[in-house]
Amino acid sequence: MELTLSIKQKQLRRMARQFAKAELAPIAKEIDEEGRFPWEAVEKMGPLNFFGIQAPRQYGGAETDSISYCLVIEEISRVCASMGLMLAVHNGVVVHPISQFGNDEQKAKFLSPLVAGEKIGAFCLTEPNAGSDAMAIESTALREGDSYILNANKIFVTNGGVADIAIIFTSVDPGNVKKGFSAILVERGTPGFEVGLLENNCGMRANPVSSIILNDCRVPKTNLLGREGEGFKVAMAALDNGRIGIAAQAVGIAQGALDVSLKYAKERVQFRVPLAQHQAIQLMLADMGTMVEAARLLTLNAAHVKDRGGDLSCPSAMAKLFAGRTASKVASMGVQIHGGYGYSKDYPVERYFRDARATEIYEGTNEIQQIVIARELLKRGED
Amino acid sequence: MHIIVCLKQVVAGDRVKIDPNTYSLVRSAESSYINPFDLFALDVAVQMKKEHSGSITAVTMGPKISEEVLWEALTLGADRAVLLSDKRFAASDTLATSYVLGMGIRKIGKFDLILCGMRTTDGDTGQVGPQLAEELDLPYISASEKVEKEKGLFRVERVSDGFREILEVSAPALLTIASRTGVRLPGLIDIQDVFTRYFIECWNLEDLNADPNRVGRLGSGTWVDGLTPTAQKKSCVFIEGDARKQAKILLSKLLEKNLLS
Repeated sequence: MELTLSIKQKQLRRMARQFAKAELAPIAKEIDEEGRFPWEAVEKMGPLNFFGIQAPRQYGGAETDSISYCLVIEEISRVCASMGLMLAVHNGVVVHPISQFGNDEQKAKFLSPLVAGEKIGAFCLTEPNAGSDAMAIESTALREGDSYILNANKIFVTNGGVADIAIIFTSVDPGNVKKGFSAILVERGTPGFEVGLLENNCGMRANPVSSIILNDCRVPKTNLLGREGEGFKVAMAALDNGRIGIAAQAVGIAQGALDVSLKYAKERVQFRVPLAQHQAIQLMLADMGTMVEAARLLTLNAAHVKDRGGDLSCPSAMAKLFAGRTASKVASMGVQIHGGYGYSKDYPVERYFRDARATEIYEGTNEIQQIVIARELLKRGED
Repeated sequence: MHIIVCLKQVVAGDRVKIDPNTYSLVRSAESSYINPFDLFALDVAVQMKKEHSGSITAVTMGPKISEEVLWEALTLGADRAVLLSDKRFAASDTLATSYVLGMGIRKIGKFDLILCGMRTTDGDTGQVGPQLAEELDLPYISASEKVEKEKGLFRVERVSDGFREILEVSAPALLTIASRTGVRLPGLIDIQDVFTRYFIECWNLEDLNADPNRVGRLGSGTWVDGLTPTAQKKSCVFIEGDARKQAKILLSKLLEKNLLS
């Protein structure tokens, strides 16, 4: 079993790390405080291929392996989780399902500008009454000639405030949601497409999470992704894949919290010695480092399974569950190491603490991951 | 125009580990990167290639893991990469290193310029550039800040003792680079492509036809007799309280140390 990164993977990681240090580190605090989407940094990501990390070459993507994808998301999130989230959602649950389920015309029309970073993607499943229970959606897409007429109220949409292309999960058969469950691509600017108020979230504040409302929004039938009734398959494939990215994001947050805690522990003097010389602090740092490494290995393992074409559900659910919990736990321990300063907005660990919490909730809560994992475990026979 | 850039893999300052027997640095892939001054040299080469066309060869001496810095050089714009690697090169001082680099460059062939970083962030001797110029009998300009090609000559600006000197030198020549330039990041596609398009050429003592008595410890004119860490005197003081109180304390501390007049 090979557990060493290749030189190529390390070079890809190095580039992402350098970009994050140069372009995101100086603004991460400010954009969190202002809740501002940093276009000035985002515009530099397109030419570096961050918007199509694994997308096919044919459409301008870098077509990296999944391990490299995780390394890039981790490095960005290590410095700025909001931007890690923006990229993980754009790449993992928008570009990826369009690559997988889109036909040639859809790929040419939607994939190319998404991959170039000229357009930003959003994934719209959640509704006021449908979260973990995806089949409870109330949105509809009624057939009318060559068009669908969409009505939907999608909430907690990551990238919502800036998204140009949204994958809307809806039903073409209001009488039978399951049978009619479908994924339809809708472009911002289509009459009836409305971006609601931005969420005032606890963390990930530089990501414009919003609602997206569709009022009698008419889109051509050619915007149907996959077939009618195949929406659940599209959503689950996207989420199985997306979870790896969110796990990588959580690993990045945990690593970032560990980075700032190590720095602080070496600088801060109490009882005439740096905190790092106190065993109580060393024990925390040791546990944090061990958890981060374990979460990273689970995440890279899920990526490896994906590249080998194995069944992704269980490994990606395990990676996301463990990495999300690790991010929360490690960031919380980081706050503890910082003491009073850890509770202050003057130190970055507080931002990691807030950002980390979301990774246990979005793209499938911990409990949904547990259901996926348990189902898989119970299904397996004895070896 | 063919430019050769010499690179060194250095160890991150906070990851330095010293072999207790040989007093040499212990290198590992995880803690190493291209010496920053060598990156500036590479960047000068990339700019010149852009303006005048031509090619760049990156060369380094080191163990197998040093090929990582060569791959990085390829992602940043080098066209060819040569690793000079042999167990017998280990423990070379700057003199032996310059000899090995010189033999490597002789094998690489014709060139217009050799660019080296002015110094390294680990050894910090600044000797390899000038010694390599001696080895290859080349004209040499140190601490160059700006290089331009003009009518078959290179026009080089350097800052020395508060003066800006402008020198001209004919090809082939060796320059060490002191300017701090911003290195352009390659895209993910660029990096992916480098790994399908290029390979690292690896040459040992025999490939270079080098004299075994002039490399490694045998070929070194200096050796390290002892090494002890010096205590770091830097300490960090936290000033607490609200902003007004913190400012007051800071002011009194600065006045106390005569840092404000």
